Amino acid sequence: MPTVVLMDASLSMTRPVSLDGIEEFQRKNLAVHGLNMLFEHMASNYRLEFTALMAFSSLWELLVPFTRDYNALQEALSNLEDYDKTCLELALQGVSSVVQQEWGNGCPCQVVLVTDGSLGIGKGSLRHSLQTLKHRGDDKKFPLPYPFPTKMFILCIANAEELQMTDAMENLEELLRLSGGDGQIFTVDGPLCMKSVQAMFGMLIDRAYSPFHAVLHCGNLSSDVQVFPRPESVVVDEEVEPIPRAVSTDLEIVGFIEIADISSPPVISRHLVLPIAVNKEVDEVGTGTTDELEEEPSASQMAGKSPNFCVLLHGSLKVEGMVALVQLGPEWFGMLYSQADSKKKSNLMMSLFEPGSDPLPWLGKISHLGPVSEAAENPYGEDDSKSPFPVQPQVKRSYAQNVTVWIKASGLQTDVQKILRNARKLPDKTQTFYKELNRLRKAALAFGFWELLKGVAELLERECTMLPDSAHPDAAFQLSHAAHQLKLASSGDS
Amino acid sequence: MKSTLLTPSLKNNESGWLLYSTCGQKRSPSELPGSYGELKIPHGGRDKAISNLSSDTISTSGLKSSVAKEKVALSPTSSCIIPSFESLKSSVSESISEEAAAKKEEEREEEEEDRVLKRDLITFYTLYRLAKMKMFSVAHKTVFVVDHCPYMAESSRQQVECDVLTKSRAQGVIPLAPVSKSLWTCAVECSMEYCRILFDVYPKDKLVNYIVSDSEFHILNTWRREDQSTHELMSALAAVGPPNPREDPECCSILHGLVAAVEALCKITELQHEKRTALMDTAERVANRGRIICLTNAKSDTHVRMLEDCIQETISEQNKLAAGSDRLMAIQQCDLVLVHIYPQGEETLVSDRPKKEISPLLTSEVYSVRAGRHLASKLNILVQQHFDLASTTITNIPMKEEQHANTSANYDVELLHHRDAHIEFFKSGGSSCITGPWAEVVGPNASECDPIIDIWGLYSAGDLHMAGTSTRENGVKETMTLKWCTPRTNSIELHYCTGAYRISPTDVNSRPSSCLTNFLLNGRSVLLEQPRKSGSKVISHMLSSHGGEIFLHVLNSNRSTLEDPPSISEGCGGRVTDYRITDFGEFMRDNRLTPVAESSHDPSGKLPVERAKAQLERYTRYWPMIISQTTIFNMQAVVPLANLIVKEVLTEEDLLTCQKTIYNLVDMERKNDPLPISTYRIMWNELETLVKTHAGATDRHQRVLDCIVACRSKPPEEEERKKRGRKREEREDRTEKNGSKEAEDKSWQESERRVRRFLSACAALTYLLL
Repeated sequence: MPTVVLMDASLSMTRPVSLDGIEEFQRKNLAVHGLNMLFEHMASNYRLEFTALMAFSSLWELLVPFTRDYNALQEALSNLEDYDKTCLELALQGVSSVVQQEWGNGCPCQVVLVTDGSLGIGKGSLRHSLQTLKHRGDDKKFPLPYPFPTKMFILCIANAEELQMTDAMENLEELLRLSGGDGQIFTVDGPLCMKSVQAMFGMLIDRAYSPFHAVLHCGNLSSDVQVFPRPESVVVDEEVEPIPRAVSTDLEIVGFIEIADISSPPVISRHLVLPIAVNKEVDEVGTGTTDELEEEPSASQMAGKSPNFCVLLHGSLKVEGMVALVQLGPEWFGMLYSQADSKKKSNLMMSLFEPGSDPLPWLGKISHLGPVSEAAENPYGEDDSKSPFPVQPQVKRSYAQNVTVWIKASGLQTDVQKILRNARKLPDKTQTFYKELNRLRKAALAFGFWELLKGVAELLERECTMLPDSAHPDAAFQLSHAAHQLKLASSGDS
Repeated sequence: MKSTLLTPSLKNNESGWLLYSTCGQKRSPSELPGSYGELKIPHGGRDKAISNLSSDTISTSGLKSSVAKEKVALSPTSSCIIPSFESLKSSVSESISEEAAAKKEEEREEEEEDRVLKRDLITFYTLYRLAKMKMFSVAHKTVFVVDHCPYMAESSRQQVECDVLTKSRAQGVIPLAPVSKSLWTCAVECSMEYCRILFDVYPKDKLVNYIVSDSEFHILNTWRREDQSTHELMSALAAVGPPNPREDPECCSILHGLVAAVEALCKITELQHEKRTALMDTAERVANRGRIICLTNAKSDTHVRMLEDCIQETISEQNKLAAGSDRLMAIQQCDLVLVHIYPQGEETLVSDRPKKEISPLLTSEVYSVRAGRHLASKLNILVQQHFDLASTTITNIPMKEEQHANTSANYDVELLHHRDAHIEFFKSGGSSCITGPWAEVVGPNASECDPIIDIWGLYSAGDLHMAGTSTRENGVKETMTLKWCTPRTNSIELHYCTGAYRISPTDVNSRPSSCLTNFLLNGRSVLLEQPRKSGSKVISHMLSSHGGEIFLHVLNSNRSTLEDPPSISEGCGGRVTDYRITDFGEFMRDNRLTPVAESSHDPSGKLPVERAKAQLERYTRYWPMIISQTTIFNMQAVVPLANLIVKEVLTEEDLLTCQKTIYNLVDMERKNDPLPISTYRIMWNELETLVKTHAGATDRHQRVLDCIVACRSKPPEEEERKKRGRKREEREDRTEKNGSKEAEDKSWQESERRVRRFLSACAALTYLLL
């Protein structure tokens, strides 16, 4: 989930912070310090995140486009200049276009807004923007809510009391609500200083940038993994089940399915599953033979050399063309598979299905998938020539049946013509003739379209009179029988 | 003339062409439902019919002409649709210059509309975000109340020529007079079409209850899941028959049906019951909302108001009743959609009225619609609105005629599906995307979009525009265009798909539609591309069928945030090269999943998925990951035992196989057969480790372990050493491998002892066999 850091570079950010009567820092310095801390954290613990840095005052500027190069971000931060007044609306607009240009409008994004909480005055101020929210033309809509799912984190280089003296807090809360509500406002706890700002950024890190660690299990085989990006909680139905469901930190493999059987399923998100080394005694049966050897030169080299279940799983999934079905929580499943990028690098990937008991109709209820060994006969066949999938629905869809629809005149005409065509080839076409006739009769009865039955009866009688002398005697017999039956039906006597 | 049926597997088909085959007509007679009074072949013809079964191919003379006709209707160059309508004939005869002027005018109007539409789309999306369909929204329960009173037997006065195509064949034959549907027939077929689309897109838990009203009400089905099919409804409707024009109009009223509809809405559905039971103390979260669609012929606006008041009153009454019942639920919201149907050529007595709140529980909207095609398109719009549907037109589908296998023509097919399939597009509102596909939809070239906008293919060029706006006012957009993409995809490719939505063809039995659906039902998938003016190709969707259902898959076409990840070979365990990849592949095959019938009950009471996990647990109790870590799994001779020991239950035969495997190993050791890697001692240790993890399962598992313990070579100090851990022991083994004389002596004594044990084991085996 990419991040945009939106840094307030207005003059008010240069206000000095007095510490014990000594003027040491500007608010800007505190903000930069906090952001540096965030970037350092990401560089070491969350380095696959794409982050962009924008600065704004009355205008906005994209200082660093989306990157994983955290040095570049820190450098840009250190060269940040001071500008004029705060105009948040334009900057938020800027975020929208920067994000959509890079990721389209379906990709969830995090916006980290760093400001001192003085949100401008008069036109262009946040207060003004929010007040005029409802009186705008279509071309001047407020940029929030964004078309992409957004988590907005607002970090104020100010404490809550300070913000509550004005309407700044109210306005920021309104802004958060407009963004979709999935975010948080952070304020400095106590007096402004390096420590308190650090603590605030620490809270942001815990909330949004702490790596998601889990254990991947396959029976007794397991591996510690990091799931990137962090899987989000999902609300299944706001009314019936309003409490968000979160992915469990124990990911349990349930079994395996061929790629062709799972058949490009719809997923709500995709994540990399990266094996990680956790410092603990390797005690599982069958793992590690080298733990008693003398000290290793480097921990990462060591980790690379000791066998890991993820690598084994990935290799076999890739070779066999299969996916592993994995349980993420109660009635929530996903799949693990090998994903190769263009550069021939490949990786273990996890996709999450919609929570629920049957996210993929063609697999049936997932809780009712059981081991092959239980089946009386191997459903895959002895030579893997068969498959129990896809599961067939009980009722066929309209396009898979021979439904009758006469809403367009042509539909009706085609059906009548089909009957007449077969009528002329009696008795050779007796079977098809009756099949088509029955289909028409059945629909006409259901629609209460008795006039049609009468009409077709007449048509058949006419065909009967027009039979050539060479015609088979059975033809006349069938036609008059059919005509008689239709007439009966058209009077409600059948 | 006998047509040669081409099968879709012919080689030309690799170019992505579809073939017109007569699949729709080729169904076996056994599939015919015979629920209500099938016509029987009288005796004279039965034998013949059977002998002719094989020549079931369809004659082609008539087919050809109908094909030609449809071509006219779909050809993008023709500016009109179906030549059988009077209005249309006149528009064709208009001069070309007039047409061009009209076209320009249309262009301007369409540009204007485009702007309006963009705005609507944005509002639509904002609304959408706030109102994603809930499980128990009004869409969960729909009651159709169809008027069956004598006046519904009146003709719609829309005539259908059903004898059109015979004219050329026989001169001097007086063609059959055109037939016309009654108001009842129109109401029934349009409501069935509504249900057809609904059941195609939502086969589960969007329920319909169908009620017919005359001197009393007739409830044709229930909320139960097995009652939700057009088949059931058609049978029930056939039993009802058309209205009796001679019935006393004084006794008949739509009110009977409306009261029954409110009662029906109070009845609990299976899903409501299931969720209430599951939620226990928060059962009040399960809401009860519903919609009544009333198809009637009302007398006046006052009459309509009277009906609304009556429904409101019934709701209050029923809600009181429901309060004291387990099987009933009070109605929290009811949307009434009243459709007044009147014959063509008559003035309406009832005026349209947008949705209005009658009470906090009841909203009502009124549509006054002429019977026939107008009613059909109205209900098509309604089903889209009521169930969040959107339309996609697949363009440029190459199809070929049976008769002209060398040439192909391109066809368009319109599909309906959940609107989320275009969520990206709707969200982008006025931005980049809209100039892409949208420009194609309402693009300046009016003739190009005729077949697309004109949902029913029935409007003349003249009122096409009107038809378009009328649907737009109702908030339903026309259709998104997606282009058929020739290079097909294969099933072993795992696409990144963000949604899959069931489809229903708008015109289900038209030839292009059935050609496309049959192509997909045969198991092929096709990628779809967004038509863009700028040459870039964006593949955004895929059509694919799964188990007889067709889905529109949404493929991700944006940049991935996961690009360029570190390769798995760079991470933990990435440098190890001797993973047992093939063995684990075998393991995965053994642990593949299969659907288990819900009825099959396991004595343990565990769900199949839990049993699958339990199997994985058993299979992995001892599973070394790398080749150099294991001896037994590198030995063919151990396979029978290794495969069996993981089973939950061993049969007597399994036990024997395991024991035989062990004796065989003893024998190998005695003959000093070389082992792949290590020594026999390590092998025995490992085998014992494997079997020990299962020994507790059953008595027979334990006996396998006993057999190993009895037969294996074990130096005297083994027990003591074991305590020091397996790994150290292995290391010692490695040093031992270099060999000392002592050890050899010891092993000689050892093997003697073992032979003795072996003999006694053989005796035991013989005993067993007896």
